[in-house]
Amino acid sequence: MSGENNKGLYRTDALAEIEKRVKNWQETYSKERERLETFTTLSGLKVLPLYTPASAPNLDYLKDLGFPGEEPFVRGVHPTMYRGRAWTQRQLAGYGPAEETNKRYRFLLDAGAGGINGVFDYPTLRGYDSDDPEAYADAGRGGVAIDTIEDMDTLFAGIPIDQITISLVTCQPICNISVQSMFFANAQARGIPLNHVSGTSQNDFLMETAVSIAPGVLPPRGSFKLCCDAIEFCARSAKRWNPVSFAGYNYREAGCNAFQEIAFVMANALACIEEMLRRGLKIDDFAPRLSFFFSAHNDFFEEICKYRAARRLWSRLIRDRFKPENLRSRALRFHVQTAGAALTAQQPLNNISRSAFHAMAAALGGAQSIHVDGFDEALCNPTELSSLTALRTQQILQLETRITHTIDPLAGSYFVENLTNEMEERITGLLEEIESIGGIVKAVEDGWIHRAISDSAYEDQKGVESGEIPVVGINCYRVSEEPYKAEIFAIPETLAVQSAKLKRIRAERNAGQAQSALDDIKRCCERDGNLMEVMVESVKARVSEGEVSRTIKGFYGTWNPPLF
Amino acid sequence: MSPKKTFRILIAKPGLDGHDRGAKVVARALSNAGMEVIYSGLHQTPEQIVNTAIDEDVDAVGLSILSGAHNTIFARVMKLLKEKGASDILVFGGGTIHRNDWAPLEAMGVGRIFSPGTDTREIVTYLVETLPH
Repeated sequence: MSGENNKGLYRTDALAEIEKRVKNWQETYSKERERLETFTTLSGLKVLPLYTPASAPNLDYLKDLGFPGEEPFVRGVHPTMYRGRAWTQRQLAGYGPAEETNKRYRFLLDAGAGGINGVFDYPTLRGYDSDDPEAYADAGRGGVAIDTIEDMDTLFAGIPIDQITISLVTCQPICNISVQSMFFANAQARGIPLNHVSGTSQNDFLMETAVSIAPGVLPPRGSFKLCCDAIEFCARSAKRWNPVSFAGYNYREAGCNAFQEIAFVMANALACIEEMLRRGLKIDDFAPRLSFFFSAHNDFFEEICKYRAARRLWSRLIRDRFKPENLRSRALRFHVQTAGAALTAQQPLNNISRSAFHAMAAALGGAQSIHVDGFDEALCNPTELSSLTALRTQQILQLETRITHTIDPLAGSYFVENLTNEMEERITGLLEEIESIGGIVKAVEDGWIHRAISDSAYEDQKGVESGEIPVVGINCYRVSEEPYKAEIFAIPETLAVQSAKLKRIRAERNAGQAQSALDDIKRCCERDGNLMEVMVESVKARVSEGEVSRTIKGFYGTWNPPLF
Repeated sequence: MSPKKTFRILIAKPGLDGHDRGAKVVARALSNAGMEVIYSGLHQTPEQIVNTAIDEDVDAVGLSILSGAHNTIFARVMKLLKEKGASDILVFGGGTIHRNDWAPLEAMGVGRIFSPGTDTREIVTYLVETLPH
């Protein structure tokens, strides 16, 4: 058969016949009534009643899909995927003082979790000590309180940090620079070389400047610089650590749609790559360690296609722009968290079903690790029961459903391949738009990103309020009396515990050493050096996170983002 | 007939918790409903919130809290408003504030608490019906 008679995977005459027959069928179909005026994906792409080979007629199997572990990685980043090793069950945990969270970590590991996913309390994430007047109400809330390296020692006491992978959900670079440094310093104190620890820190500058908007944060360029310091440090000295996890998940939670989620993380990642090259590193020195963090939201197929499209686009972008030799530099690896914003406070047990569907989309989309939300997400920090139920949801998915038995099982579906192509096109368009306005840092400085996120969040709310986006228990199938009363998790006392620790440490530590550690940080800022190189040493003098943040902000100043 | 009063509303996010989607959506919905809205962003202390409320001469303050710190923060805001003779300002709220806590908050003088999943039109109606015209 000659190539001229073929188009993509199909014979041109067969394709023409299919197209003709589709038209005939559509005529019959259009005489029937449809249930909705328009059918779209959650992010607004039109969905047709039927997909056929004519829906992705140019698909070139070898070029566009390929094989698992091979470019363009649509079918997965590893050759064996879940047949070799299933995704890591990485349940988020953290609350109260480090002693308490250490217990929850051990509880989850004993229950079969494969790695740790540590989340920090609001003061830690924003760079404040527990006893700071700004932090008085939030210590221990939303995560574990970390003030000094002592808390880090307590947090990981008895946990083999050289044998399991650790994720530090540090969110903002202002938090990461201290917390990741404390983790590394703790590893050194335990006699573990930094090149032997495996894990990930979040460290995303958009989290500081565009997603959770507060006056007085680090300016975008300062925050971006801190993020890049960690990437550079790890490329040189902690080679198994993923120094950034571009937090598309959080952008999505703040209101982004599926294309924005991917386009914004990619714009962010591309900016980091440019900066690393400017600093003299080679693409293969750090690109294999850039990692991504995505949401799994309600639209099952849109989410699956989002992951597949993201892998293909990333692989091609990196190949074309940076020409890496290592194939791993082009493989997009990601963690998924099921969408918290999709869960309801009403009839909370329904969230178990929602999160199970979300997690299944993540697994069918080839995620490397997954967190499933607790069903009480919209009510409080997860209880032991809701944490365990979430973990069991993953285990049921992994062991009972057998979706792990073959790789990328939805490939070749006319709908899935068509939607994967469309998602890729939309993401590419948005990425080009960001680049045309000067890249991600500029888009943050100008408030472009803030406006985009805020607009999408409002659109979504209008969709729910008009009933266009059905949410069970919110705009349909409501109940007047809640049939199930969820237990509310009470955060253990934190402020008093942390205040006492800080008071003791400030009295006990060598004041001269502490001051000279802070001076080192200041001097490093002044000479535009790599802060993490200094910080891993400085935190050993038991300086607190708040002291470090104040020193850094003292040099970079603060920024008031636009409040949309 | 005097022109219909335009309500001035402060939407504030106390504390360090970063979940600001709800606050921003409510701020925009109230603004689209014809109210004058001041949105202060995250990291606001009760002192800053109360000062802004008084300086801006607002009719109501909406606090969005998803950290679980609501009992402490509402108590402090109510106390400060009272101390400054501004108890006429209506305080309402939203976020992950469990139903069990609604009655104690009401007893402090806090107005309606809106749970996640609230239709923003419900908040508009509440303010129009509750605030003096």
